[in-house]
Amino acid sequence: MSDLLDTRIAELLADPQWHGHPLRDALAELYQRYGEHAHALERLTRIADRYQNAERERGMGYADRYERQLRQLTRLLRISDRYQKSLQELNDELREQSERDELTGLYNRRYMYGRIEAELQRLARGGEPFCIALGDVDHFKRINDGWGHGAGDEALRLVACTLEGRIRASDLCARWGGEEFLLLMPQTTLTGALTLVESLREALKVLTPEPDGTLPPMTMSFGVAQAHAGQTLTQLLAGADRAMYGAKRAGRDRVAVDA
Amino acid sequence: MNELNIIATNSTPMIRTDGASGTLQLAGDSYPEHAFEFFAPLLAWVKQHLAQTDAPLRLELALLYLNTSSVRILMDILDQAEEAFQAGRDVSLTWRYDSDNERVAELAEEFREDCSFPFTIEACETR
Repeated sequence: MSDLLDTRIAELLADPQWHGHPLRDALAELYQRYGEHAHALERLTRIADRYQNAERERGMGYADRYERQLRQLTRLLRISDRYQKSLQELNDELREQSERDELTGLYNRRYMYGRIEAELQRLARGGEPFCIALGDVDHFKRINDGWGHGAGDEALRLVACTLEGRIRASDLCARWGGEEFLLLMPQTTLTGALTLVESLREALKVLTPEPDGTLPPMTMSFGVAQAHAGQTLTQLLAGADRAMYGAKRAGRDRVAVDA
Repeated sequence: MNELNIIATNSTPMIRTDGASGTLQLAGDSYPEHAFEFFAPLLAWVKQHLAQTDAPLRLELALLYLNTSSVRILMDILDQAEEAFQAGRDVSLTWRYDSDNERVAELAEEFREDCSFPFTIEACETR
C-alpha cells in the first residue's frame, strides 16, 4: 500500500508539469518530513528491541545461576549430612568400645558400675528387688598353665558365650576382671536369681570339656547377693564377693548366697 | 607467588602449596571456627595460580572430617579446577585415604561426581 503511495508521490514530484505549483513544494516538504519520522521510528524500535533482548538474557542468566547455586547447595547438604552421619557412626563405635570387654565382647566393669548404680537408685525410690551374682572360673590358672594362654582366652570366651546365651533378655552380663564375671538381674528375687545362676553353673559343666580336647572340663563358683535399699554399690559388690569366696571354700562348682 | 605452608592442628588441615609444580596439598581434619577466614589465603592462592600462570593444578588431598563450611570451600575450589580443566589446563586430583576408613572414600566419591578432570581415590595401607 505504502509502496504504491510512495511511487505515486515520487512520480507526481518528478512530473515537470507540476513544477512551480504551490501544492507540489508543500508535498515535497511533507514527504521529506515523513521520511525522517519513519526512519526515527525504525531506529527507536530497533533500540528498544535490543534492550528487551538484553533484559531477557539477563533474566535467563539469573535463572541459570539460581539453578547452579541450588544444585551446589543440594550437594553441599548431602555431603555435609554424610560427614555428620560418619561422625555419628564413629561415635557409636567408640561408645560401644568403651562399654565392652575386648576379649569376650561382654560389657566391661566401667559400664556395669553405672548400670548397678542406676538399679540401686531405683530400689531406693521403692523399686522392685534385684540381685547380682559374681562368678569365677575354678582353677583357671591350671588352664592357662597347662593348656596355654590361647586356651585360657578360648575358655573365657566359652564362659562368656554360655552365660550370655542363657540369661534372660532383661539381665546383663559383664566380664568383671581376669576370670571373673558379673551378672545383674533386675526385678529378680533371691529365689529367682538362685534358679537362674544354678542353671548357668550346670550349663557350663555340660559344655566342657570340648570334645576335640582343646579345653579341659570347667566349673564355676558363684556368689549371689540381693540388693537392699540404702546399700552402696561397694557394699553390694562386697556381699557378692563374700558369697563367691564362700562357694570356693565350700569346694567350688557351686552357688552360695550372701547371708 | 605467595606460597602457603600451614601446619595442621586438631581442627584445621595442613595446607601446602608449590606454585612451580602447581601442587596444592590438604591433609587432616577440617572444622575451623571461622572457615572462610581460615581458607581465605588458600582461595587467593588458587585464584592467583589459575589467573596468572599456565602451570598445571595438582590437588593432593588426604582430608578426613570436613564441616559444612569446609565442604563448601572445597566444592568452590573443585568448581574452579573444573572450569580451568574445561579451558584446557592440566588439572588432576588424588585423594588418599586410610584403607581402614572406607567412609572417607565414599565422601571423596561424592566430590568426584561433578568433576570431569582425572580424580583418583587411592587407599593407603594403615601404618
